Amino acid sequence: MTPQIPELGRFAEPALLILVSLSEGPKHGYAIMTDVEAGTGRPLGPGTLYAALARLEERGLIEALAPVDRRRPYRLTGVGETILREQLHELTAFAELGLRRLGRAPR
Amino acid sequence: MRALLLRCYPARWRARYGDEFAEILAERPLGPFDVADVVLGALDAHLHLRGLGAASEHGRGFAMSLRIGGIAALFGGVLWFIGIAGSSATEFDGLFASLALIATASLLVAMIGLSAFQARAYPRLIWLAFGIPALGAVISLVGYYGMATVGDGPFLGDVSPWYVWMIGTLLMIMGSGLFAFATWRASSLSRGAAAVLVAAAVGVLILVPNLMGVVSFIPEALGPLASIVALGAFGAGWSGLGLSALRMDRAALAAIGGASS
Repeated sequence: MTPQIPELGRFAEPALLILVSLSEGPKHGYAIMTDVEAGTGRPLGPGTLYAALARLEERGLIEALAPVDRRRPYRLTGVGETILREQLHELTAFAELGLRRLGRAPR
Repeated sequence: MRALLLRCYPARWRARYGDEFAEILAERPLGPFDVADVVLGALDAHLHLRGLGAASEHGRGFAMSLRIGGIAALFGGVLWFIGIAGSSATEFDGLFASLALIATASLLVAMIGLSAFQARAYPRLIWLAFGIPALGAVISLVGYYGMATVGDGPFLGDVSPWYVWMIGTLLMIMGSGLFAFATWRASSLSRGAAAVLVAAAVGVLILVPNLMGVVSFIPEALGPLASIVALGAFGAGWSGLGLSALRMDRAALAAIGGASS
Protein backbone atom coordinates (compact mmCIF):
# COMPACT_ATOMS: atom_id res chain seq x y z
CA MET A 1 0.00 0.00 0.00
CA THR A 2 1.47 3.40 -1.03
CA PRO A 3 1.61 5.92 1.79
CA GLN A 4 -0.30 9.11 1.04
CA ILE A 5 1.65 11.25 3.49
CA PRO A 6 5.09 10.88 1.96
CA GLU A 7 8.60 11.09 3.40
CA LEU A 8 7.62 11.65 7.01
CA GLY A 9 9.42 8.57 8.32
CA ARG A 10 8.51 7.81 11.93
CA PHE A 11 6.30 10.91 12.05
CA ALA A 12 3.84 9.68 9.40
CA GLU A 13 1.53 8.18 12.00
CA PRO A 14 1.39 11.22 14.34
CA ALA A 15 1.02 13.41 11.23
CA LEU A 16 -2.08 11.50 10.18
CA LEU A 17 -3.53 11.81 13.67
CA ILE A 18 -2.84 15.56 13.63
CA LEU A 19 -4.52 15.96 10.23
CA VAL A 20 -7.59 14.09 11.52
CA SER A 21 -7.66 16.30 14.60
CA LEU A 22 -7.50 19.46 12.47
CA SER A 23 -10.22 18.18 10.14
CA GLU A 24 -12.87 19.49 12.54
CA GLY A 25 -11.36 23.00 12.61
CA PRO A 26 -8.25 24.97 13.64
CA LYS A 27 -6.53 23.99 16.89
CA HIS A 28 -3.39 25.02 18.74
CA GLY A 29 -0.72 22.51 19.76
CA TYR A 30 -2.01 21.65 23.22
CA ALA A 31 -5.57 21.13 21.93
CA ILE A 32 -4.25 18.82 19.19
CA MET A 33 -2.24 16.84 21.73
CA THR A 34 -5.17 16.31 24.11
CA ASP A 35 -7.54 15.55 21.22
CA VAL A 36 -5.21 12.87 19.79
CA GLU A 37 -4.65 11.34 23.23
CA ALA A 38 -8.39 11.27 23.97
CA GLY A 39 -9.15 9.75 20.56
CA THR A 40 -6.49 7.03 20.57
CA GLY A 41 -5.66 6.45 24.25
CA ARG A 42 -1.98 6.81 23.33
CA PRO A 43 0.31 9.54 24.61
CA LEU A 44 1.59 12.13 22.15
CA GLY A 45 4.66 13.92 23.50
CA PRO A 46 5.37 17.59 22.75
CA GLY A 47 8.60 16.75 20.88
CA THR A 48 6.83 14.33 18.54
CA LEU A 49 3.93 16.74 18.06
CA TYR A 50 6.13 19.62 16.95
CA ALA A 51 8.38 17.43 14.79
CA ALA A 52 5.26 16.32 12.90
CA LEU A 53 3.72 19.84 12.83
CA ALA A 54 6.92 21.29 11.35
CA ARG A 55 6.99 18.66 8.61
CA LEU A 56 3.31 19.09 7.78
CA GLU A 57 3.77 22.85 7.59
CA GLU A 58 6.86 22.49 5.36
CA ARG A 59 4.89 20.33 2.94
CA GLY A 60 1.98 22.74 2.87
CA LEU A 61 -0.53 20.31 4.40
CA ILE A 62 -1.29 22.65 7.31
CA GLU A 63 -0.80 26.38 7.88
CA ALA A 64 -0.30 28.48 10.97
CA LEU A 65 -2.79 31.20 11.87
CA ALA A 66 -2.10 34.38 13.82
CA PRO A 67 -1.15 33.59 17.43
CA VAL A 68 -3.70 34.04 20.19
CA ASP A 69 -1.71 34.99 23.31
CA ARG A 70 1.32 32.73 22.89
CA ARG A 71 -0.65 29.87 21.35
CA ARG A 72 -0.64 29.54 17.59
CA PRO A 73 -3.55 27.67 15.98
CA TYR A 74 -3.06 25.52 12.88
CA ARG A 75 -5.54 24.59 10.18
CA LEU A 76 -5.69 22.19 7.23
CA THR A 77 -4.85 23.60 3.81
CA GLY A 78 -6.73 22.52 0.67
CA VAL A 79 -3.86 20.16 -0.21
CA GLY A 80 -3.88 18.76 3.32
CA GLU A 81 -7.60 18.12 3.16
CA THR A 82 -7.27 16.33 -0.20
CA ILE A 83 -4.42 14.13 0.99
CA LEU A 84 -6.19 13.31 4.25
CA ARG A 85 -9.36 12.37 2.36
CA GLU A 86 -7.37 10.07 0.00
CA GLN A 87 -5.56 8.47 2.92
CA LEU A 88 -8.78 7.81 4.83
CA HIS A 89 -10.49 6.35 1.73
CA GLU A 90 -7.49 4.07 1.27
CA LEU A 91 -7.64 2.98 4.90
CA THR A 92 -11.37 2.31 4.61
CA ALA A 93 -10.83 0.17 1.51
CA PHE A 94 -8.03 -1.68 3.32
CA ALA A 95 -10.23 -2.29 6.40
CA GLU A 96 -13.13 -3.51 4.23
CA LEU A 97 -10.83 -5.91 2.39
CA GLY A 98 -9.59 -7.32 5.70
CA LEU A 99 -13.11 -7.69 7.07
CA ARG A 100 -14.29 -9.43 3.88
CA ARG A 101 -11.40 -11.89 4.11
CA LEU A 102 -12.08 -12.51 7.78
CA GLY A 103 -15.71 -13.21 6.92
CA ARG A 104 -14.66 -15.84 4.37
CA ALA A 105 -11.99 -17.46 6.53
CA PRO A 106 -12.82 -20.99 7.74
CA ARG A 107 -13.26 -21.24 11.51
CA MET B 1 13.78 22.48 33.47
CA ARG B 2 11.44 23.82 30.78
CA ALA B 3 13.88 26.55 29.74
CA LEU B 4 16.67 23.98 29.55
CA LEU B 5 14.57 21.70 27.36
CA LEU B 6 13.75 24.57 25.04
CA ARG B 7 17.46 25.43 24.80
CA CYS B 8 18.10 21.94 23.40
CA TYR B 9 16.44 23.00 20.13
CA PRO B 10 18.34 24.89 17.41
CA ALA B 11 18.03 28.70 17.48
CA ARG B 12 16.32 28.74 14.07
CA TRP B 13 13.70 26.29 15.28
CA ARG B 14 13.16 28.29 18.51
CA ALA B 15 12.67 31.49 16.53
CA ARG B 16 9.73 29.90 14.71
CA TYR B 17 8.18 27.57 17.34
CA GLY B 18 9.80 28.64 20.63
CA ASP B 19 6.92 30.69 22.11
CA GLU B 20 4.17 28.22 21.42
CA PHE B 21 6.37 25.26 22.41
CA ALA B 22 7.22 26.94 25.74
CA GLU B 23 3.50 27.42 26.29
CA ILE B 24 2.83 23.72 25.68
CA LEU B 25 5.59 22.69 28.09
CA ALA B 26 4.01 24.93 30.74
CA GLU B 27 0.50 23.50 30.23
CA ARG B 28 0.95 20.26 32.17
CA PRO B 29 3.41 18.43 34.47
CA LEU B 30 6.34 16.92 32.60
CA GLY B 31 7.29 13.33 33.35
CA PRO B 32 10.19 11.21 32.07
CA PHE B 33 8.18 10.39 28.91
CA ASP B 34 7.74 14.05 27.96
CA VAL B 35 11.34 14.95 28.78
CA ALA B 36 12.69 12.05 26.67
CA ASP B 37 10.28 12.95 23.87
CA VAL B 38 11.43 16.59 23.89
CA VAL B 39 15.13 15.63 23.95
CA LEU B 40 14.61 13.25 21.01
CA GLY B 41 12.54 15.94 19.27
CA ALA B 42 15.41 18.43 19.72
CA LEU B 43 17.89 15.94 18.29
CA ASP B 44 15.55 15.38 15.37
CA ALA B 45 15.22 19.15 14.84
CA HIS B 46 19.03 19.54 14.68
CA LEU B 47 19.29 16.74 12.11
CA HIS B 48 16.21 17.87 10.22
CA LEU B 49 17.49 21.43 9.82
CA ARG B 50 20.74 20.01 8.45
CA GLY B 51 18.79 17.90 5.97
CA LEU B 52 19.71 14.67 7.78
CA GLY B 53 16.45 13.85 9.52
CA ALA B 54 13.20 12.34 8.38
CA ALA B 55 12.86 15.04 5.71
CA SER B 56 15.28 13.02 3.62
CA GLU B 57 14.05 10.02 1.64
CA HIS B 58 15.31 7.39 4.04
CA GLY B 59 15.45 9.27 7.34
CA ARG B 60 13.47 7.81 10.24
CA GLY B 61 13.43 10.59 12.81
CA PHE B 62 13.19 10.02 16.57
CA ALA B 63 10.17 9.71 18.81
CA MET B 64 9.44 8.29 22.25
CA SER B 65 6.39 6.06 22.24
CA LEU B 66 4.23 3.63 24.14
CA ARG B 67 5.49 0.97 21.70
CA ILE B 68 9.14 1.44 22.73
CA GLY B 69 8.14 1.33 26.40
CA GLY B 70 6.01 -1.77 25.86
CA ILE B 71 8.73 -3.71 24.10
CA ALA B 72 11.32 -2.65 26.70
CA ALA B 73 9.02 -3.76 29.56
CA LEU B 74 8.18 -7.08 27.93
CA PHE B 75 11.77 -8.09 27.26
CA GLY B 76 13.15 -6.35 30.35
CA GLY B 77 10.82 -8.36 32.60
CA VAL B 78 11.86 -11.70 31.10
CA LEU B 79 15.58 -10.87 30.96
CA TRP B 80 15.53 -9.49 34.50
CA PHE B 81 14.13 -12.73 35.91
CA ILE B 82 16.66 -14.87 34.00
CA GLY B 83 19.55 -12.57 34.92
CA ILE B 84 18.75 -12.24 38.64
CA ALA B 85 17.70 -15.87 39.14
CA GLY B 86 20.80 -17.06 37.27
CA SER B 87 23.09 -14.71 39.21
CA SER B 88 21.63 -15.85 42.53
CA ALA B 89 22.01 -19.55 41.68
CA THR B 90 25.63 -19.39 40.56
CA GLU B 91 28.93 -17.85 41.57
CA PHE B 92 29.62 -14.62 39.67
CA ASP B 93 28.67 -15.42 36.10
CA GLY B 94 29.38 -12.73 33.53
CA LEU B 95 26.52 -13.87 31.31
CA PHE B 96 23.75 -13.71 33.93
CA ALA B 97 25.10 -10.52 35.49
CA SER B 98 25.26 -8.89 32.05
CA LEU B 99 21.70 -10.01 31.31
CA ALA B 100 20.54 -8.45 34.57
CA LEU B 101 22.30 -5.16 33.69
CA ILE B 102 20.79 -5.11 30.20
CA ALA B 103 17.39 -5.86 31.74
CA THR B 104 17.80 -3.01 34.23
CA ALA B 105 18.58 -0.59 31.39
CA SER B 106 15.61 -1.96 29.46
CA LEU B 107 13.28 -1.47 32.44
CA LEU B 108 14.48 2.15 32.79
CA VAL B 109 13.54 2.70 29.13
CA ALA B 110 10.19 1.03 29.88
CA MET B 111 9.56 3.44 32.75
CA ILE B 112 10.18 6.36 30.41
CA GLY B 113 8.02 5.00 27.59
CA LEU B 114 5.12 3.92 29.81
CA SER B 115 5.02 6.87 32.21
CA ALA B 116 3.17 9.50 30.14
CA PHE B 117 -0.28 9.29 31.71
CA GLN B 118 0.82 8.46 35.26
CA ALA B 119 3.17 11.47 35.29
CA ARG B 120 0.29 13.84 34.61
CA ALA B 121 -1.52 12.63 37.72
CA TYR B 122 1.48 11.90 39.98
CA PRO B 123 4.55 13.69 38.58
CA ARG B 124 6.64 13.55 41.78
CA LEU B 125 5.90 9.88 42.39
CA ILE B 126 6.87 9.00 38.81
CA TRP B 127 10.12 10.98 38.98
CA LEU B 128 10.93 9.23 42.26
CA ALA B 129 10.03 5.85 40.71
CA PHE B 130 12.42 6.59 37.85
CA GLY B 131 15.19 8.24 39.89
CA ILE B 132 15.58 5.46 42.50
CA PRO B 133 16.23 2.63 39.98
CA ALA B 134 18.36 4.93 37.82
CA LEU B 135 20.61 5.38 40.87
CA GLY B 136 20.30 1.63 41.49
CA ALA B 137 21.49 0.89 37.95
CA VAL B 138 24.65 2.92 38.52
CA ILE B 139 25.28 1.16 41.85
CA SER B 140 24.69 -2.25 40.24
CA LEU B 141 27.15 -1.36 37.51
CA VAL B 142 29.78 -0.54 40.16
CA GLY B 143 29.02 -3.88 41.88
CA TYR B 144 29.29 -5.67 38.55
CA TYR B 145 32.68 -4.11 37.96
CA GLY B 146 33.73 -5.18 41.45
CA MET B 147 32.60 -8.79 40.98
CA ALA B 148 34.40 -8.96 37.64
CA THR B 149 37.65 -7.56 39.07
CA VAL B 150 38.02 -8.63 42.72
CA GLY B 151 35.49 -11.47 42.87
CA ASP B 152 34.32 -12.00 46.43
CA GLY B 153 37.11 -9.94 48.02
CA PRO B 154 36.75 -6.57 49.76
CA PHE B 155 35.79 -3.89 47.29
CA LEU B 156 34.58 -0.58 48.71
CA GLY B 157 36.12 -0.58 52.20
CA ASP B 158 34.98 -3.88 53.68
CA VAL B 159 31.88 -4.17 51.56
CA SER B 160 31.87 -7.00 49.06
CA PRO B 161 30.93 -6.26 45.44
CA TRP B 162 27.97 -8.61 45.81
CA TYR B 163 26.45 -6.34 48.47
CA VAL B 164 26.97 -3.30 46.25
CA TRP B 165 25.27 -5.18 43.41
CA MET B 166 22.43 -6.18 45.72
CA ILE B 167 21.81 -2.60 46.89
CA GLY B 168 21.45 -1.50 43.26
CA THR B 169 19.07 -4.39 42.56
CA LEU B 170 16.94 -3.57 45.60
CA LEU B 171 16.67 0.05 44.46
CA MET B 172 15.47 -1.23 41.06
CA ILE B 173 12.82 -3.31 42.80
CA MET B 174 11.77 -0.41 45.05
CA GLY B 175 11.42 1.99 42.10
CA SER B 176 9.49 -0.58 40.09
CA GLY B 177 7.06 -0.97 42.99
CA LEU B 178 6.48 2.80 43.11
CA PHE B 179 6.02 2.92 39.35
CA ALA B 180 3.52 0.07 39.47
CA PHE B 181 1.66 1.75 42.32
CA ALA B 182 1.32 4.98 40.29
CA THR B 183 0.22 2.93 37.27
CA TRP B 184 -2.39 1.12 39.34
CA ARG B 185 -3.71 4.41 40.76
CA ALA B 186 -3.82 6.07 37.32
CA SER B 187 -5.37 2.97 35.63
CA SER B 188 -3.32 3.83 32.55
CA LEU B 189 -2.19 0.25 31.75
CA SER B 190 -3.22 -3.19 33.02
CA ARG B 191 -4.18 -2.77 36.70
CA GLY B 192 -3.75 -6.53 37.20
CA ALA B 193 -0.15 -6.48 35.99
CA ALA B 194 0.52 -3.36 38.09
CA ALA B 195 -0.90 -5.09 41.18
CA VAL B 196 1.28 -8.17 40.55
CA LEU B 197 4.34 -5.93 40.24
CA VAL B 198 3.54 -4.05 43.46
CA ALA B 199 2.97 -7.33 45.32
CA ALA B 200 6.19 -8.83 43.92
CA ALA B 201 8.24 -5.75 44.83
CA VAL B 202 6.89 -5.75 48.39
CA GLY B 203 7.42 -9.52 48.58
CA VAL B 204 11.06 -9.34 47.48
CA LEU B 205 11.80 -6.47 49.89
CA ILE B 206 10.29 -8.48 52.75
CA LEU B 207 12.16 -11.65 51.78
CA VAL B 208 15.61 -10.07 51.52
CA PRO B 209 16.26 -9.69 55.30
CA ASN B 210 15.11 -13.31 55.69
CA LEU B 211 17.47 -14.53 52.98
CA MET B 212 20.36 -12.59 54.49
CA GLY B 213 19.68 -14.18 57.88
CA VAL B 214 18.82 -10.89 59.60
CA VAL B 215 15.40 -12.27 60.55
CA SER B 216 13.92 -15.71 59.99
CA PHE B 217 10.16 -15.63 59.61
CA ILE B 218 10.15 -18.08 56.70
CA PRO B 219 11.45 -21.65 57.18
CA GLU B 220 14.87 -22.11 55.59
CA ALA B 221 13.60 -24.73 53.15
CA LEU B 222 10.91 -22.40 51.80
CA GLY B 223 13.12 -19.32 51.42
CA PRO B 224 14.51 -20.08 47.93
CA LEU B 225 11.09 -21.13 46.61
CA ALA B 226 9.47 -17.95 47.95
CA SER B 227 12.26 -15.91 46.34
CA ILE B 228 11.79 -17.56 42.95
CA VAL B 229 8.03 -16.96 43.11
CA ALA B 230 8.55 -13.30 44.03
CA LEU B 231 11.22 -12.74 41.35
CA GLY B 232 9.06 -14.53 38.77
CA ALA B 233 6.08 -12.36 39.69
CA PHE B 234 8.31 -9.27 39.38
CA GLY B 235 9.33 -10.23 35.84
CA ALA B 236 5.77 -11.27 34.96
CA GLY B 237 4.39 -7.96 36.29
CA TRP B 238 6.74 -5.95 34.07
CA SER B 239 6.06 -8.14 31.05
CA GLY B 240 2.32 -7.83 31.70
CA LEU B 241 2.58 -4.04 31.73
CA GLY B 242 4.54 -4.23 28.47
CA LEU B 243 1.95 -6.46 26.83
CA SER B 244 -0.91 -4.20 27.89
CA ALA B 245 0.96 -1.18 26.47
CA LEU B 246 1.53 -2.95 23.15
CA ARG B 247 -2.12 -4.00 23.03
CA MET B 248 -3.20 -0.42 23.69
CA ASP B 249 -0.77 0.83 21.05
CA ARG B 250 -2.10 -1.55 18.43
CA ALA B 251 -5.79 -1.45 19.22
CA ALA B 252 -6.64 2.01 17.92
CA LEU B 253 -4.00 2.35 15.28
CA ALA B 254 -3.33 -1.04 13.71
CA ALA B 255 -4.78 0.00 10.39
CA ILE B 256 -3.17 3.46 10.40
CA GLY B 257 0.23 2.08 11.38
CA GLY B 258 0.05 -0.64 8.76
CA ALA B 259 -0.91 1.74 6.02
CA SER B 260 1.39 4.64 6.73
CA SER B 261 4.62 2.92 7.72
